[in-house]
This record gives sequence, C-alpha cells and structure tokens, in this order.
Amino acid sequence: MGKKQKKKKLPVLFIGICVIPTVVLTLIFKIYPTVNTLIMSFTDANLLGSGTFVGLHNYTYMFQDKYFILALKNTVKLLAVVSVVTIAFSLILAFILTQSRLREAGIYRTILYIPNVISLSVVAVIWAFVFNARMGIVNSFLDSVGLGMLKRDWLGDSNTALWCIGVVMIWQAVGYYMIMHIAAIDGISQEIYEAAIIDGAGKVRQLLSITVPLIKNIIGRTFILAISGTLGMSLSLAKVMTGGGPNGASSVLTYYMFQQGMMQGNFGYAMAITVFTLIMSLGLSFLTEAITEKE
Amino acid sequence: MVGKRAGKWKRILVSWILRVIMILLSAVMIYPLIWNLYSSFKTNTEFLGDAMKLPEHLMWDNYIRAISETNLGVSILNSIGIVIVSTAILALLTIPCTYCLVRYRFPGAKLILKVYMALLFIPDSSTLIQLFLLMRNLHLLNSRAALALLYAATGVAFPVFLLSGFLSKIPRDYEEAAMIDGCGPFRILINVVVPLARPGIVTVCMFSAIGSWNEYMTAMVMLTDEKKKTLAVAMAHLYEVQRYATDWGTLFAALVIALLSTLMIFMIGQKYIVQGMNVGGVKG
Repeated sequence: MGKKQKKKKLPVLFIGICVIPTVVLTLIFKIYPTVNTLIMSFTDANLLGSGTFVGLHNYTYMFQDKYFILALKNTVKLLAVVSVVTIAFSLILAFILTQSRLREAGIYRTILYIPNVISLSVVAVIWAFVFNARMGIVNSFLDSVGLGMLKRDWLGDSNTALWCIGVVMIWQAVGYYMIMHIAAIDGISQEIYEAAIIDGAGKVRQLLSITVPLIKNIIGRTFILAISGTLGMSLSLAKVMTGGGPNGASSVLTYYMFQQGMMQGNFGYAMAITVFTLIMSLGLSFLTEAITEKE
Repeated sequence: MVGKRAGKWKRILVSWILRVIMILLSAVMIYPLIWNLYSSFKTNTEFLGDAMKLPEHLMWDNYIRAISETNLGVSILNSIGIVIVSTAILALLTIPCTYCLVRYRFPGAKLILKVYMALLFIPDSSTLIQLFLLMRNLHLLNSRAALALLYAATGVAFPVFLLSGFLSKIPRDYEEAAMIDGCGPFRILINVVVPLARPGIVTVCMFSAIGSWNEYMTAMVMLTDEKKKTLAVAMAHLYEVQRYATDWGTLFAALVIALLSTLMIFMIGQKYIVQGMNVGGVKG
C-alpha cells in the first residue's frame, strides 16, 4: 500500500529544487558552449564579430593548412605511442605489484601515483628544466655516463620536442592507470593463477593468457580514458613546455585550436578544429569499445 | 624434494630481481621531483654548473625570495578559496540532484543521467574558448567567484556518475523507515542519505578539490589580474618571468612550495581517492 502510494505521488517540489539548478547550470556552462562550438565552426567568427555563415569552409581549409596538418600528425603520433605505452606499462606494473607479493608494494604504488596529483602547469615547468639544454638533468646525466655526444636542446630541437611532451605524459599518467589495473587484477580469483602455476605457466604467460584476457574490457576502458587523457594533457604541456615550437614541431590539435582561437582570435576556425578533434577522440573511443567488448 | 627447494630459491631470486627493477623505476620516476627539491637550495651560479650535483650550502634565501618577491602566498590563498567554494557548490548541486535522479523515476530522469554520461566524453579543452566568450559576455572574467562557480558547473558529470553508483547501493529500507516516522524528503536526504553516502561524497569532494586545485588552462584564460591568479597559473607565469630574469633559485623554491602544498592535500585525501577510483573508476 505504502509503496504503491509512493510511486504515484512524486515530491515534485523537492525534485524540482534538487534537480533544476544543476541541470540549468549544465545547460548554460556545458551544453550551450558545446552546441555553440558546433554552430560557430560553420562561421568565420573572429575578434571583430560573430561572423557570417561560411558552410564547410573551415573544415576544407584545415586540410590545406600545413600547420594544422602538422598538429594533426603530432597528435596522432602522441595518441598512438603515449596511450599504448602508458597502458602497457601500467598493466605490467600492476601485474608485478599484485603478483610478486613484495612487502613494500604500497610504497611503489604511492611513488608511482604521486606525479598524477601534481598540477600540470607545475609538472610542465619542472620537466622544462629537466630537458633544459644548460641546466637540465638529462644532459647532465648523459655527460656523466660518457654519452655527451647525445646532448642537445631537447625542447628546442624539432626532432625531440614532441617526444619530450610524450615522456611527461607517460610519467604523469602511468600511476593512475596502474591503480585502475590493480583494482581490476585484484578482482581475478587467485585460484585461476594457482591452476596455471600447477600447469607450469610462467609469469609472462600468466600475464598474457590470464590477466589480459580476463580484464580485457577494463583495459579497453582505461585505453579510452588514456586517449582522452592524452588529448587533455596535450594542451597544457604544449602551452607551457614548448609553446608548440620549434616552428610547430610540437604543436598538437588542442594547442593549435588554442593558438587560433585565443591568441589570433580566429574563433570560427578554432571551433572547427575543436569539432574535428572531438570527433576524432570519440571515434577512437567507440572503436576501442567495439574491439574490446566483442565476443 | 630437490625440485621444490630449487623452486623456492628461484622464487626468491625472481622477487629480488623484481624488487631491484621496482626500486630503480621508482627512483627514476621520483628523481625529477627530488632534483627539484635539492636544487631549490642552490645559488644561481650553481644552477649553471652540473645539474645533478647537490648544492654546497642550503640557500634558504631562495625560499625567502620566493615568498616575498612573488605573489605566491596570494596565489595559494586564491587557490584555497576557489577550491573550497567550488567544491561546496559542487556538493550542493550534485548530491541532491543525483539522489533524485536515481531514487525517483520521474519523466526525464533517465535521460538526464544519460546526458551526464555522454558529457563525460567532452573534454574541458573543447569548451575552453566558448566558455571564455560566454564569461566575457556575462562580464564575469577576472572574478574568482565566477571561476569557482564555473568549476562546479562544468565538473558536474563525473560526480553524478560516481555518486549514482554510491546512492543506488543504499538500501531503500532506511528511507522508508524514516518516511514512516514522518520525515519529509529534505530531512531524509540530509539525515539519512547523506550520512550513508558519506564515503562517496568525500571521494567526490576530494576529486573535485584536487581537480580545481590543479586546473590550469581555464584559470589562465579567465583570470588575468596578477592578484587573482591561482597557484597553477602563477607557477606557469613565474616560469615565464624567471626564465628571463635568470633567478632560478626563486623559481625552484616556488615549485617546491607548490609541490608540497599539493602533496599535503593529496595525503589528506589519499585513502578516499584510491577507494573512489576502485568504486567509480572502471570496475563493474
């Protein structure tokens, strides 16, 4: 009786007070900007005004813009290498920490996780000095092990600038995904491993034949997070560490969007780049989901 | 018998190899931060020498300059204020909202939950410029309160996602018992649901607090006034300035202060963060 009554009579006022403010704020600060991004991407809006409708011009123009192409290539390189390396590393580390039963595993876990809690701007400044040609520890280390000929201005060299950012991304994110993978591996029954040990399976074999297949779905999700995480970090790191330089060599889509929009005021074009980036990252996410959820 | 003993030795050997690997790896991971720490005591001439070398004397002067010659103290206070306000707003927004969304099957509740799930996939960088234009039109640029509100409003999706997991696991019996005792929905929410969902709420607040504390791009775009900058923005700005002023000691000392203040917050919330990641992150 009481249950039925409750289902019929909703406390409308209560629900309204609870839900409406949040939804309204989301509409104003999340949905409206997102929709407006799409709309503005079809205009030539700039610093002078909201511009006129130009159809797909921004989208066709970007493929003739060599700095856009460069930023796209760099982004793809980072996504391909950083996401894969981060997930692979974090998985191996999680496997070692859960299966080796080292007593001090907790200490390693904390140390590896610490980079993840530091502000990206602070991380970027610290690593800018790590790679600094004159004051950095990378060059100092190379000198001390007799590999002085490899010394260079890491962030100023167009061959290495992008990969310096990649290294920082892996350094920053590996602990985060490691903890997620530890949680996932902890969910696997220990008996399965014991059975495998009796069958004579080595550790590498256990990792590849038991752990990875059993947490495949979770690896898929962490991979999706790693893709969006890599994109998310790319803006701050490129901004502080290299400014996209030298000459666009470490520019990424998010940074090029920022450069076009905030620095040069080409809002319409910047929005088209944003939409392109967003579709790319969503596409990759769905693809990953489709691959890992199969079977 | 012999095989068993050999197996034991092999296990010990393997675990020591792993231990050495982990120690080396941890050392490499933490070294940039340790280097930052000991270098903050170097003189500016020492900075130009061998980078890995330890300082000859402890230059506490760097810290005095970092505090007195920069706006670091003000920036830290700004960050603390923004973190507290935005986290409080976020909690006030998301706890009642998520509770209603998972408890009452009103028309649209499912849709709203789905929209929030979808919003998880929209990165902050993609709305950055639009938010800047919006705040400019609303004349809310350069306002710390507005930035705090913005953090809360744009950060709703993840807490809703996490809290909906926590809240839907609370058995309805408690609420029904309270209802029979004559409690209205507001009192049930405050006196029954909130205490039961406390671990989830604390987790959400910790995530939000660390997120706002560390946020860089939005704060940089919104706050231009030197006196209003958050710690994350101030650090990047200080880097720009000191790089050319060549006062690296001050910069490194400031970095250490920024690092320690962040780690302090992290240590306080560590338990809840790890727990929250296990519950809401990817499991299930």
